[in-house]
Amino acid sequence: MSSPAATVKAALEDLLRHRRLHADGPPLRGEDLRPRPLATGVREVDGLLGGGLPRGQVSEVHGPASSGRTALAVSIVARTTRSGALAAWVDTADRFDPAGAAEAGVDLRRLLWLRGGAPETAGLGRAVSAVGTLLGSGLFEVVVLDLVGQGGEARRLPGATWIRLQRQIERQPTALVLLGDAHLAHGPSGASIALRALCARWSGAPGPGRLLQGLHVEARSGRQLSRAARFELVASS
Amino acid sequence: MFGAVHSVRVPASADALLALAREFTPRVEACGPCTVLLDLHGLARAWPQPAALGRALVDAARARGLDDPRVALAFSRVAARLLAAGREGLTVASAGQEAQLLAPLPLDLLGLAPERADLFRRWGLRTLGDLAGLPGGGLAARLGPEGPRLRRLARGEDDAPLVPTLPPERFECALELDWPVEGLEPLAFLLARVLEPLGQTLAARARRAAALTLELRLVDRSVHRRTLKPAAPTALARTWRTLLLLDLETHPPRDAVQAITVRAEPTPSRSVQFSLLDPAQPSPERLAETLARLQEWTAAGRGGSAALVDTHRPGAFAVETFSPAPFAAAAGEHPAAPRLGLRAFRPPRPARVSVAAGAPVFVTAAGVRGAVVDRAGPWRASGDWWDVAWSREEWDVAVAGSGVYRIFRDRLRDEWFVEGELD
Repeated sequence: MSSPAATVKAALEDLLRHRRLHADGPPLRGEDLRPRPLATGVREVDGLLGGGLPRGQVSEVHGPASSGRTALAVSIVARTTRSGALAAWVDTADRFDPAGAAEAGVDLRRLLWLRGGAPETAGLGRAVSAVGTLLGSGLFEVVVLDLVGQGGEARRLPGATWIRLQRQIERQPTALVLLGDAHLAHGPSGASIALRALCARWSGAPGPGRLLQGLHVEARSGRQLSRAARFELVASS
Repeated sequence: MFGAVHSVRVPASADALLALAREFTPRVEACGPCTVLLDLHGLARAWPQPAALGRALVDAARARGLDDPRVALAFSRVAARLLAAGREGLTVASAGQEAQLLAPLPLDLLGLAPERADLFRRWGLRTLGDLAGLPGGGLAARLGPEGPRLRRLARGEDDAPLVPTLPPERFECALELDWPVEGLEPLAFLLARVLEPLGQTLAARARRAAALTLELRLVDRSVHRRTLKPAAPTALARTWRTLLLLDLETHPPRDAVQAITVRAEPTPSRSVQFSLLDPAQPSPERLAETLARLQEWTAAGRGGSAALVDTHRPGAFAVETFSPAPFAAAAGEHPAAPRLGLRAFRPPRPARVSVAAGAPVFVTAAGVRGAVVDRAGPWRASGDWWDVAWSREEWDVAVAGSGVYRIFRDRLRDEWFVEGELD
């Protein structure tokens, strides 16, 4: 068992790493300079990814309707905002639900929500440009680009778009998460999570008073999507 | 030596007395709307005789339109102020003569609280001399420290320093150009020249600019005026320059620029105690700059932080300016399991729903079509009957070959809608 002094020293060194107060100094003894992954808040998915989404990388979460894409992204944002960091959600189709997000634990004051869908903010070009601005600011720990339902238009974006965003983010402790219906793009070390709904869980037999209680989901990641994990999304009360 | 100028009537201009006093010395103190105090130390070279200085003050006051100015010169602030308020014309009190000159003046000049003035009246005190003549120990025993203090004032004894009234601060910087400039690139360079000294002035006074007005005088003699209010006040010239350039990109001047003026609206500088143990807070300057770059979203009300509204109406929310408060650990536990989210359709999509035995069996709407294979509901909700009433019957339905959706029947219009996808 380590002594209290050693525990305090380890905690302080961890704090210094986290706050980047010694960014220009030599590495501390035993210091791992690789950025810590950004935990998603879903234990099974974190296990699948080796701790969470890699920072400084473009990652993606994709799947068909009701596969839990939004729930997973909201969970990441909830965990980020509750730790005091800032998050941004670029919502190309204006589908984000603030009440549900607040119930899932998101601190809405620390989430910048950019709503597309209006004439002045329509077009994925504008959304991608906004993501570039958000990444360039270095203020946000996680930026979600919600492209669900925009697959066709997203594929028509120049291929260099994602490379440019990856280049922009790779020296920052930020994670960019693309939400989509199908695989779109991810960075060289970024995560690609494919989600699939397994079955819905209902309370009791069909009839009055019945509730949707949750949704069982399977997440796959890794090369050839070979690793899988299952978890349940709980319906709001 | 101190001087005081008193006007019997309240001057037409609030700053008239201060302006008069500043003609003689920068160290002036306003004592209400009718009296101004002057620190006259060091003026003996210009006016060797105090009486001459007093006459100069009277002449200057008359020149500024004061009909019957009262001027007093004395070796204490309070003596000068009381003599100016209580004696007509010019009074010059030599050292040690203050108490004698003050003695016949009424006690009201001290500006006593009503209960204190009433007490002194019952004691039979009418003049400053009456109060000055009382024993200090007796006054202290009856009135506490306030008693001897009032007695000293009545004798013209005052060791408090003069507190200068500073002229109003103007944070403004202007640049007249020899040749007009066109385009943003040369203007960016010139903006830096006016913003940097302005930023330095603000920083030297521990101020930041809450708003900045840019006035560009154009060749056609019109003025192109833009006022910016960033999310967070700042004194950084670089940030202001970026914000102004971003604004000018969307609102360019219609002609070449002949002169540039920037005017800041100052606000006290922020003092924040950072913590080693809490998460780092975003730089307000960088946040303001980022929000300005996202102006096409924020200006249209399409960007900010969502705020929940105190209502049961489904889907109600407000969008507020994004200004994250200092971090405080969030109340309540983080939900243990991830929550199923709603991807809302705004507005809800009209749907055609086939119903059998009171339950939906087939849904058709834009982007959603299929047989309902499982369902939960109905759940009824209504509200706002005093305003714009709503009443609905909600179902969560699993649609074959698609996902799980929340649909509802508007009971007031008897129409079906898809509210969103549960994801």
